[in-house]
Amino acid sequence: MPYVHPEYLVETEWVAEHLNDPNVRIIESDEDALLYAVGHIPGAVQVDWFSTLQHPLRRDFLTKEQFEEVASNIGITNDTTVVFYGDKSNWFACYALWLFQYYGHENVKIMNGGRLKWEQENRPLTKDVPSYQRTSYKAKDPDKSIRAFRDEVREQSDSKKPLVDVRSPKEYSGELISMPNYPQEGAQRGGHIPGAVSIPWSQAVNEADSTFKTPEELRALYEGKGITPEGEVIAYCRIGERSSHTWFVLKYLLGYPKVKNYDGSWTEWGNLVDAPIEK
Amino acid sequence: MSLPSKLQEIVDDFASMTREEKVETLVAYSESLPPLPDRLKELRDKMEPVPECMTPVFLHGEKQPDGGIIFYFDIPPQSPTVRGLASLLANGLNGSKPEEILSVPGDFFLPMNLQEAISQQRINGFIGVLAHMKQTAVKLLSNGS
Repeated sequence: MPYVHPEYLVETEWVAEHLNDPNVRIIESDEDALLYAVGHIPGAVQVDWFSTLQHPLRRDFLTKEQFEEVASNIGITNDTTVVFYGDKSNWFACYALWLFQYYGHENVKIMNGGRLKWEQENRPLTKDVPSYQRTSYKAKDPDKSIRAFRDEVREQSDSKKPLVDVRSPKEYSGELISMPNYPQEGAQRGGHIPGAVSIPWSQAVNEADSTFKTPEELRALYEGKGITPEGEVIAYCRIGERSSHTWFVLKYLLGYPKVKNYDGSWTEWGNLVDAPIEK
Repeated sequence: MSLPSKLQEIVDDFASMTREEKVETLVAYSESLPPLPDRLKELRDKMEPVPECMTPVFLHGEKQPDGGIIFYFDIPPQSPTVRGLASLLANGLNGSKPEEILSVPGDFFLPMNLQEAISQQRINGFIGVLAHMKQTAVKLLSNGS
């Protein structure tokens, strides 16, 4: 059984063969933003989840116009195939892909295994920062069908529709507010959204090389916890990066038609006055 | 109280750098962090395994005959920001006396404008590494070894 939408995933070999393809733009997006400066795939540009993609003032992404500016600066057109890769099993690569989809960029792919696998295979890295001719990119209006906001998350919880908490088990139980050994900050309360099932994001990847597990394994993992293709699913974590990884798995590898990422995630829910919490 | 002079120089340098220069300098610091001496590897391996995602930082300090402390780090190359920041602190503080390390203000780095180059979460990690170095300094202050 193949992945349902295999066209959203490419292997390192494919990327190696398309380094000079003018119709392909490779984007590195990391948790540790310095990794790009240490060395990146030849020809790749950097899109940092924080300094590039966040709105400079509000807690939100770039506006449509600001996104057009970013896309134009990295020289892509609406038809360019954009391939994302990064550290931490592609967390922020999936986050960037999700945001590119939010603004209507259709031709996007994740490089399976991310930076880790590329390095393990001793493929080339460079410090040379490429520059591409500026384009006039036109973004679409935000696709809200892939992004959940707090009010609909509340409705989702109240109506007992599927919610997936992809954080580590101790964050789900409320023992920790942030990831283990990360600063415990960002939320006033610990626990999870009532009704959410715990399926840590990491269960979807092979630890050895950060690649995604097989379709059979993934299906068993999510369906085994009651997260099935018919449902309207919302995934969340702490700030929406790990859950965009799960969003990618459900939406493209397993082909669930209705999946949203709640990027407000625990740093919003755990601070909301009057929001119900389960422990 | 003033900062140890090497650390003060680093702060002043960063204050005048562009964002790109800061990134390049942090990468250079990350790359110049010396490997952990073999004699400390056993000690490192006793560290508790770190769950999920966080950067394991091994730190060890030794007092020299003149009373100054030398710090040793082991941080994986997959985390260049934490490596770079730890290397920067080692460059700025190695050889300082425990009292000098303890008197470094927790916000000494504000003039460096690090937030231009790295995220707040990394800056918190930086504060964490400094706190760890201070704990080591306290131990070396009290047991004198």
